[in-house]
Amino acid sequence: MPAAPIWRLLGWYDAAAYYPPFVAVLSSLSYNAKQFMVSSTARPLEAREYSQRRISLLIYKQQGSGPWGGGSGGNGGNPWGGRSPGVGGGSPPLDLEELLRSGQERLRRLLPNGFDNLRGLWLLAAVIIAIWGLSGFYRVQADEQGVEMLFGAYARTTSPGLHYWFPSPVGDVLRPKVTQTNQITVGFRGSEPSVSAVPQESHMLAGDQNIADVWFVVQWRIRDAGDFLFNMRDAEGTVKVAAESAVREVVGRNPLQAVMTNQRELIAQDSRDLLQTIMDGYGAGITILDLRIQKADPPSEVIDAFNEVQRAKQDEDRLRNEALAYSNDIIPRAKGEAARMVEGATAERDKLIAEAEGQASRFSAFYQTYAANKDITIRRMYLEAMQEVLGRSQIIMMDENAGSGVVPYLALPEIQRRTQVERPQVQGSEQ
Amino acid sequence: MSARLTILVIVLIAAFFVALGTAFTVHQTQQALVLQFGEPRRVITEPGLHFKIPFIQNVSYYDSRVLDLDPQGQDMSLVDQRRINVDSFARYKIVDPLKFYQTVATDTAFRDRFGNILNGGVRDALGQADLTDVLGSGRQRVMDQITTAVRRRAPEFGIEVIEVRIGRTELTADTTQATYNRMRSDRMAEAADFRGRGQEQKSRIEAEANRDVTVLIAEAEKQAQILIGEGEAKSRKILNDAQGKDATFYAFFRAMEAYRAALGEGTTMVLSPNSEFFRYFDRLP
Repeated sequence: MPAAPIWRLLGWYDAAAYYPPFVAVLSSLSYNAKQFMVSSTARPLEAREYSQRRISLLIYKQQGSGPWGGGSGGNGGNPWGGRSPGVGGGSPPLDLEELLRSGQERLRRLLPNGFDNLRGLWLLAAVIIAIWGLSGFYRVQADEQGVEMLFGAYARTTSPGLHYWFPSPVGDVLRPKVTQTNQITVGFRGSEPSVSAVPQESHMLAGDQNIADVWFVVQWRIRDAGDFLFNMRDAEGTVKVAAESAVREVVGRNPLQAVMTNQRELIAQDSRDLLQTIMDGYGAGITILDLRIQKADPPSEVIDAFNEVQRAKQDEDRLRNEALAYSNDIIPRAKGEAARMVEGATAERDKLIAEAEGQASRFSAFYQTYAANKDITIRRMYLEAMQEVLGRSQIIMMDENAGSGVVPYLALPEIQRRTQVERPQVQGSEQ
Repeated sequence: MSARLTILVIVLIAAFFVALGTAFTVHQTQQALVLQFGEPRRVITEPGLHFKIPFIQNVSYYDSRVLDLDPQGQDMSLVDQRRINVDSFARYKIVDPLKFYQTVATDTAFRDRFGNILNGGVRDALGQADLTDVLGSGRQRVMDQITTAVRRRAPEFGIEVIEVRIGRTELTADTTQATYNRMRSDRMAEAADFRGRGQEQKSRIEAEANRDVTVLIAEAEKQAQILIGEGEAKSRKILNDAQGKDATFYAFFRAMEAYRAALGEGTTMVLSPNSEFFRYFDRLP
């Protein structure tokens, strides 16, 4: 491996990435030393993942060989190969002589003229230490908090801006995104156009032992960077598991109908509170901002039956409306009919009264004439009536004295026939 | 010169190794156990820089955070013989790394052994519960019961159990199918109920309308009769008032009217010449 250009070595920011010779030697050796020392580690440290661009001795992973890295690249190589029973000694131990010789070669090439070997070495060491020291500058972005660690122990928290802290391996800086809102979806993945359901997450038992299909979204944020980083392993994964548990617990207390309709908001609220309580119980340093129920339906296997209920409701409304329409049709008609009857009767009454009054006044008129001259009036009236009646009648006159001894014969059928032929319209009499 | 330099470098590197073997850091999220040839010597709970004897002592690290244990869900029977699949999870903390090291040593071994204990605790607790307990208000009690049972075993592992929770509680596949069938038949019954109620309302509303119509008409009929009766009564009274003045004249007057009306065209009458009309027929006054 050729040495990195000098200007790159001087850039503190990326210095670690280019493995200046000594750093490479030291880190490969320390890596092996670490392998030897740590026979059993509980688990890799995720919190470290928040630290970027830093080489930590603890988590340093050998990616490629350093200039002399042949012997130290893999997991097996360690300088004390034989002494460590746990770690297999695959590679031969490092040849220090060889290592130093080739190191000097390269140093000479790096610093070509005029320098004495020893002075050159000191100078290089000084430069490297200066670069290492400068690599302690770090920047905290606006949405981050800097958590400074000294030998792995929490030291202090810094706000956004440029700061200095001991560089690795003495110090370390973790930069969690504290203002970022994180979102977890349960029951489904993806967003609107391409949503895929995850039934094993979303199917849950409601209080009435029916199965509900509930999709929800949890939004959370880091409340306390220290708690978040140091109190709980996989706090993020725990939010999801605990959210599922909380929602299931709350849904399990409510009947399906309530979950689907009116209790939805309340269930989301209760679940949020319960989830917050659970996370606080773990000291996870997380605030649950929101728990929103996206969908609360019956499972797709039975949704047709639920739709049938909706249709039945519609039918119920339709039947009622039909009946109301019928009712609204016939009642006004009947009212009209009733009004017609009453009006007709009123007219009839008025007619009767008017007629009576007419007759009464006619009679009164006759009576006045009669009172003035009774005899004459009677006689005139009689004769007038008789004249009219007899004038249109057939009259058969019989003198009882005329045919004594002879039986008079009246041909009734003959008369009958004649009457029928030329029957006049008989007027109905009043009274 | 070259030899001096070599010696210096060798000394420096040797010193560096000794330093590396002596010093070690314990991260904020860790606690550590210093072992001497496998024998535990010290427990370190303070994070930071620590020292040990190089080469003969080594360090075993343990998490000091709240850890998750989430074993696979298991099928089990409730007290009401219903089969369900329960997924439970525990959150715990290693409080005694020494004990932890002595009992299980590694996380994997711990997960195996304690996972079984957790599942056993869940099975014991749910074996005495029915579905309503697991689902409803009894859920917290069941979870507490499991937590208590599991906590009893915690000291031998050097851990502290913070909480055990029931996660997914699912009916097994055949029970699920049966549940779906029941849900479907429940809904069908509900739908039939809605339709039936619709019919009932329809019939009632129509019957009420018909009744209203009948009553309206009857009321109108009654009203009409009253009105006509009133008219007739008035009419008779008016006539009586007028005609009552002279009953004899009225009888005559009315008789004349009746004759006119009753005896129409073509009536055949057999009359005696002695009748009033023919009074002057064969004699003069």
